[in-house]
Amino acid sequence: MFAYYLKLGLRSLRRNPVLTALMVLTLGVGVAASMSTYTVLRAMSGDPIPHKSDRLLVLQVDNSPALEPGQALPENGGIGVDLPDLSSWLDVRALLEHDSAYRRSGIYGISGVIEPEQDGAQPVLSRGLAVSSDFFPMFEAPFRFGGGWSAEDEAREARTVVLSAALSERLFGGTDPTGRTIRMMDTEFRIAGVLETWMATPRYYWLSVGRRFGETEDIYVPLRTALAMERDPEGNVNCNGPTPVDPGFGGLLRSECIFMQYWVEVPEGGRAAYEQHLAAYVAAQKSLGRLPNGGNSRALDVMEWLVEQEVVGSDTRLQALLAFAFLLVCIVNTVGLLLAKFTQHSGEIGVRRALGATRREIFQQYLVQAGVVGVAGGLMGLALTFGGLWVLSQQSLDVAHVARLDTGMLLITLLTAIAASVIAGLLPTWRACQVLPAAQLKTQ
Amino acid sequence: MLSMRQLSKVYRTHMIETHALRGIDIEVREGEFVAVTGPSGSGKTTFLNIAGLLEEFSGGEYLLDGVAVQGLDDDARSRLRNQKIGFIFQGFNLIADLNLFDNVDVPLRYRGFNAAERKRRIEEALGKVGLASRMKHYPAELSGGQQQRVAIARALAGQPRLLLADEPTGNLDSQMARGVMELMEQINAEGTTIVMVTHDPELAARAQRNVHIVDGQVSDLDHGHVALRAVKS
Repeated sequence: MFAYYLKLGLRSLRRNPVLTALMVLTLGVGVAASMSTYTVLRAMSGDPIPHKSDRLLVLQVDNSPALEPGQALPENGGIGVDLPDLSSWLDVRALLEHDSAYRRSGIYGISGVIEPEQDGAQPVLSRGLAVSSDFFPMFEAPFRFGGGWSAEDEAREARTVVLSAALSERLFGGTDPTGRTIRMMDTEFRIAGVLETWMATPRYYWLSVGRRFGETEDIYVPLRTALAMERDPEGNVNCNGPTPVDPGFGGLLRSECIFMQYWVEVPEGGRAAYEQHLAAYVAAQKSLGRLPNGGNSRALDVMEWLVEQEVVGSDTRLQALLAFAFLLVCIVNTVGLLLAKFTQHSGEIGVRRALGATRREIFQQYLVQAGVVGVAGGLMGLALTFGGLWVLSQQSLDVAHVARLDTGMLLITLLTAIAASVIAGLLPTWRACQVLPAAQLKTQ
Repeated sequence: MLSMRQLSKVYRTHMIETHALRGIDIEVREGEFVAVTGPSGSGKTTFLNIAGLLEEFSGGEYLLDGVAVQGLDDDARSRLRNQKIGFIFQGFNLIADLNLFDNVDVPLRYRGFNAAERKRRIEEALGKVGLASRMKHYPAELSGGQQQRVAIARALAGQPRLLLADEPTGNLDSQMARGVMELMEQINAEGTTIVMVTHDPELAARAQRNVHIVDGQVSDLDHGHVALRAVKS
């Protein structure tokens, strides 16, 4: 009977086109408003690497100095108030050695100007990251050509680079440039690999600077190479501690200034063991006279880190909440419209009852009819969702990068519309079942 | 086929009680063609609705083809109605959105026949009323008489034991009315029991016997050979 009800439902859409259009539009607008904001919220708050997000840990090492009695905390927050978001090279260097049993990577932001091969061509300013060799397998960066570099390359401060897909296409078109060189930072860098277009959403591994969503950086160079070349960090460098910092890049590296991220990958179920390992590191540093408050240090997994960093703004959550409230209003409106539509069908319901339809059969028929309105509303909602996402993407570049409808969201949108229409159809359908056939047949 | 004993129907509102039927006894045998007559408001349609299981009754007993109707739930009444009763209404009550084929298909769908069986029955029923060639037409494209023929085809398609007709020619001119009446007589001759409510004395005269209802009671019998009696209460 479902196919029969479906056929009747489709036919009923044509019966009162104005009422049908109103219902479809009401549902469509409600669904579009809620789905477009939900798409953004989901993308922003989603797990960017679900199969191992609980095994990737970012470290917050408390390297704040011991406060003397009466000494005030710095007014601008930073060290001593919250745990630092970044780490010092002192800690990253020590941890890279201390954690040799694990995949791990220090990260900091750099930039470089790529000099053109031909005379007269424009130089290309590129943003990038200095990372350890484990960075690519840890974060599962997908390669189009070549690969990363080895630990040995890094140890010998090799001039090697990995390019983003976009930069590679810009410089070399679609060809494989691995093995070729580019000149930047006054040095020839050999291209080790080219990434596929990589959109970690959000870019959880490096939230420190700039955009948190969208395509990843243009260039990746070995951490020790960048340090050896004294590439200044792009982004935040926090030296709020009371200890004076020696001038120059060497002074920065010897200081407690924080400007790096440090990530480690632990095996399945290995977090507790790593936390003990971290405590041992802190204890060792304490014995060397560092990290007086190091006991506060902690390791957060990816999702904890995203919450800590407030990647999803409260305005995004509020927007989504309001949009779902709006969907509720639309559903209530649809209830009214369906009541009106089904009331028009009272005569037909009376006839069907007289001809042998049970209440249950009438209920099923009209619920399917409500569902058909939902499918139409869902299709309308999908079209409007694309529009809604475009509007949202005008708010900021971050939103623009996540305001995309994937297959899952397409299905969720359609199912939401159908569920909304079926919920909206429950009362009108129940009312339709209560039609007394005798009363209707007399008035026909 | 149809047996009512001391059947009553009372409509109650907050203010008043209306006694539509006051303990009527009616028996209709298989194969009969009975006309139920009476002035407006006498209870004819209420009788027909109760006979057709479209309304419940307040008191008494009703056996339809040997099945005691009282106490049946809504599902069981719907099934019984679908299997045993065909309806013909004054206003035809065809579904405007459906073509003739689909209109006749409605009761068969609820009976659960497969597609081939439904098709066979629809074609046979529409053929019987002379509209086999217009299966894909919609009700609005037909005359009143033709629409009533479709309604008859719909009633017949399920091969009911009992055909209930409420003023079947009330909306038709005399020529069309005659045609519909002849069709009903033919159906009756083929063995279907018919109970017809009508105002029209000419139509009533063509039935095998008449039951006259006045003020919710059966008032007299015009043919003495059937077991039909009025119970004054």
